[in-house]
Amino acid sequence: MRTAIEINRLCKTYRGSKTPAVDQLTLTVPEGAVFGLLGPNGAGKTTTIHILCGLRSFDSGEISIAGYSPKRRWKDIRRRIGFVPQDIALYPSLTAYENLQVFGGLMGLRGKLLKNRINELLHLFGLEHGKHRLIEHYSGGMKRRINLIAGLLHRPEILFLDEPTAGVDVQTKNLMLDNLKTINREGHTIIYTSHYMEEAETLCTQIALIDGGKTICTGTPSGLIAQTKGCDKLEDVYLQLTGKKLRDE
Amino acid sequence: MNGLRWLIYKDGLLLLRDKAGLCMMFLMPMLLALIMTYLQDSTFNAIHETRIPLLLLNADKDSLGMAIERQIGASGIFSVATGIDGQPAERDALIKAVGRGDFMMGIIIPENATNHIRKNVKRYVAGAFSGKNISLKSDSVQVEIFIDPVTKNSFRSTLISTLREYAVRTESDFLFREITAEVNKHSPLPAPDIRLARNKVILKEQYAMPDKAKTIPNSTQHNIPAWGMFAVFFIAVSLSGNLIRERGDGSFTRLRTMPCPYYLYMSAKVIIYSLVCLLQLAAIFLMGLFLFPLLGLPALTIGNGWLSLLGVGLCSALAAIGYGTIIGQIASSHQQAAVFASVSVVIMAAIGGIWIPVFVMPLPMQWLSACSPLNWGLEGFYDILIRGGNWRALLPECAASSAFFILCAIAAVVYDKKKRIDI
Ligand SMILES: Nc1ncnc2c1ncn2[C@@H]1O[C@H](COP(=O)(O)OP(=O)(O)O)[C@@H](O)[C@H]1O
Ligand SMILES: [Mg+2]
Repeated sequence: MRTAIEINRLCKTYRGSKTPAVDQLTLTVPEGAVFGLLGPNGAGKTTTIHILCGLRSFDSGEISIAGYSPKRRWKDIRRRIGFVPQDIALYPSLTAYENLQVFGGLMGLRGKLLKNRINELLHLFGLEHGKHRLIEHYSGGMKRRINLIAGLLHRPEILFLDEPTAGVDVQTKNLMLDNLKTINREGHTIIYTSHYMEEAETLCTQIALIDGGKTICTGTPSGLIAQTKGCDKLEDVYLQLTGKKLRDE
Repeated sequence: MNGLRWLIYKDGLLLLRDKAGLCMMFLMPMLLALIMTYLQDSTFNAIHETRIPLLLLNADKDSLGMAIERQIGASGIFSVATGIDGQPAERDALIKAVGRGDFMMGIIIPENATNHIRKNVKRYVAGAFSGKNISLKSDSVQVEIFIDPVTKNSFRSTLISTLREYAVRTESDFLFREITAEVNKHSPLPAPDIRLARNKVILKEQYAMPDKAKTIPNSTQHNIPAWGMFAVFFIAVSLSGNLIRERGDGSFTRLRTMPCPYYLYMSAKVIIYSLVCLLQLAAIFLMGLFLFPLLGLPALTIGNGWLSLLGVGLCSALAAIGYGTIIGQIASSHQQAAVFASVSVVIMAAIGGIWIPVFVMPLPMQWLSACSPLNWGLEGFYDILIRGGNWRALLPECAASSAFFILCAIAAVVYDKKKRIDI
């Protein structure tokens, strides 16, 4: 199986910080996987995703994305990836439709293709009504869905999702997860961070549990549950491996 | 290019949805231009052409009287009346009118004044040539001057010396003429007219000011380009806010993960905001051209300087965009950027001669004003509107503005890389 992403001993320490945010992280994400990057707050998930999307520089290690090493190939990489940030990243004073037009247009979609793709996704996520309303008048769950759609428009080979379901109700969450499964079946690799273990258990084909910027364990959800004594849910594995201490991050 | 199109579309929409921002960028400077032109109109007139009202009773009607009347009129300092309410006045009426303050000065040139001088001179010259000793004081002429006590000393002495100069000139004219006539009587060769030898000492006046400051515009010629420049730089508030909001709402981060390099992202803003600047300038200049004359203010005249105006406008727009970008990069909150941008633009405007024109500033401030990017644009507009300069004259200002833009752009890119990617 080909790999979508290779991370080899990646290190990143933010300037002015003593402890590394990502510490010798090594991961392999096979093509076609739904890869869960799981860990408590402050584990280094967002930092890792940001490095993979070219938003942050890193100190050492190697990464390769869609077969490209990002040294001088960000241009090629950017066409192949989709990024759904942890915080809503939309223009509040533009309508949902205008937001998607701009982001889709920038990804190279044009004319009818762009229009059809936007309408298709809006329909898929139950947002075709009210697409001409300003984002600032949307509810949190609706914004989350548009935020997700904005990363999907150009059918990216690799989709990065940073806590895409944070703060949405159960109905919206189920809809989003169902759609993500469909999208994955169409051949898109998904890297997904979360600290909702239930969600990860149903969605992910592979997971890596990280804490303190380091990998703690990797495997399939069922494999990890079977490996760890006295656990019958991913959440138990998670608590056993990361401890019950509160995280301030 | 498709990407740039979408970025322009996005920035255009963001701008159009920001109604308050648009008001600030268009209505405020237009109002300021109107109000300031109104307020300063009389001040500028005072600098230009306030004349001292002067009442002249010229009973002489001969060389001296005529010469004084002509010269006082031509000096440009006085507005000369020869009667009160169109009626010829008497001595008493003149004294009353000056006392009331209707006139700042009154002058009475007595009847036959020229004749007296002429006679005196004749007598003197004839006496001199015949070898007799004659005192000149025999029959002097008295020109009376009445002065409103509030008249400034400088005007008073200007008037007195003007009068004295013309009395002396008239007298010496007669003197020369008489001498020439006498000499011609005694000599076989005609003597040249000695009067031609006059005015060999030329007084050259110069202003001790930075070279450019000495052209003095009228209220419209100052305020239209001045508030135009202010409007152009005020976009820094909107632009820096736009940049910060875009970073804050995460959309900038999303753009970064797309095939949208920073230069493309900034190009869209440069295009949109340049357009805004040109529209602002157009609105304000059109107001000066068409609205001001209707309101009784001096109309703006541009002649055929349209293309130069466009050039200066664009360069200034670039400088303003550079300034807004750097504030938007460095400020950490929308509020901080808005306060800093607006306050700094007002200060740069004050230094740059927007509020109070450079030519009335004290000398050190005149030099300092050349450091304000608003001044570069304003001087460029002055070059076109009042100095009639061609594109060569605009080169220094346009170069300064463009260089400022380039510096700001480089600083913004470096800052962005250092503070947001390599952190
Ligand atoms: N911009 C930043 N500057 C300094 N430290 C940061 C920055 N962003 C994150 N960190 C630190 O890096 C660590 C990892 O953060 P993050 O990647 O956001 O974790 P997660 O997404 O897993 O919650 C945390 O300790 C956090 O405090
Ligand atoms: Mg995070």
